[in-house]
Amino acid sequence: MSEDETRKKEKMTTAQSNNFRPGAMQPNSSISRKLREFYDAVQEEGIPDRFMDLLERLEEAEKKANSVNGK
Amino acid sequence: MNDEDVDRAFKRDLLASLPNLRAFAVSLTGRHDKADDLVQDTIMKAWANQKSFTAGTNMRAWLFTILRNEFYSQMRKRGREVQDSDGLYSERFSVHPEQYGRLDLQDFRKALDTLPDDQREAIILVGAAGFAYEEAATICGCAVGTIKSRVSRARARLQELLGVSGEGDFGPDPGDAAITSRAFGS
Repeated sequence: MSEDETRKKEKMTTAQSNNFRPGAMQPNSSISRKLREFYDAVQEEGIPDRFMDLLERLEEAEKKANSVNGK
Repeated sequence: MNDEDVDRAFKRDLLASLPNLRAFAVSLTGRHDKADDLVQDTIMKAWANQKSFTAGTNMRAWLFTILRNEFYSQMRKRGREVQDSDGLYSERFSVHPEQYGRLDLQDFRKALDTLPDDQREAIILVGAAGFAYEEAATICGCAVGTIKSRVSRARARLQELLGVSGEGDFGPDPGDAAITSRAFGS
């Protein structure tokens, strides 16, 4: 069994024993949800133009350097 | 693959990782303007060192490692900013509160920022950026067990600060969650 599978199995059994009693899953078990919400909000802003410009300039500079080197 | 294909693939993968990388930078610095400067430095470093990146390996982890190293080396250069003072986050977050949207998310952001750097980065990498514990350990240059305990302490602290139960939270180690909730009597 791979390490991943072992972990999955462990997770399943532990999760079961943890959550089996009614009401164990709190509606506000929210730390990880909030964490992802905060993080995703930034991710969804997309890529600012300055980075697209920067990559283009880096690429241009590289092309020039390569052609000078006769590569 | 010829050189040009490799270059194109490098740029494509770099672009694909940018939103996630940027979110990590915001998490570390607490500010969009500083985060974007940090991302810019990271892109330049990554570009200059692209020969040292092995195509086909995990570019995201590679970029996160560069950004993290850059962040801490800049912090050291500037002289370490006070981490746990009450005034710090209000100063940091008075700048763009609207960027954090709803009020509860702002509260969350403040709570997150009271965590020590090592705990905050651990919980972000594992809980939001989508890395496995092993990858997070590689990025932070520490043992897997260290990452696990940092995540666990970070989670406990956030639960305490926000007054919520974390039971059933965080898939990777439900055992920890159970211990935490027992410890905090939630």
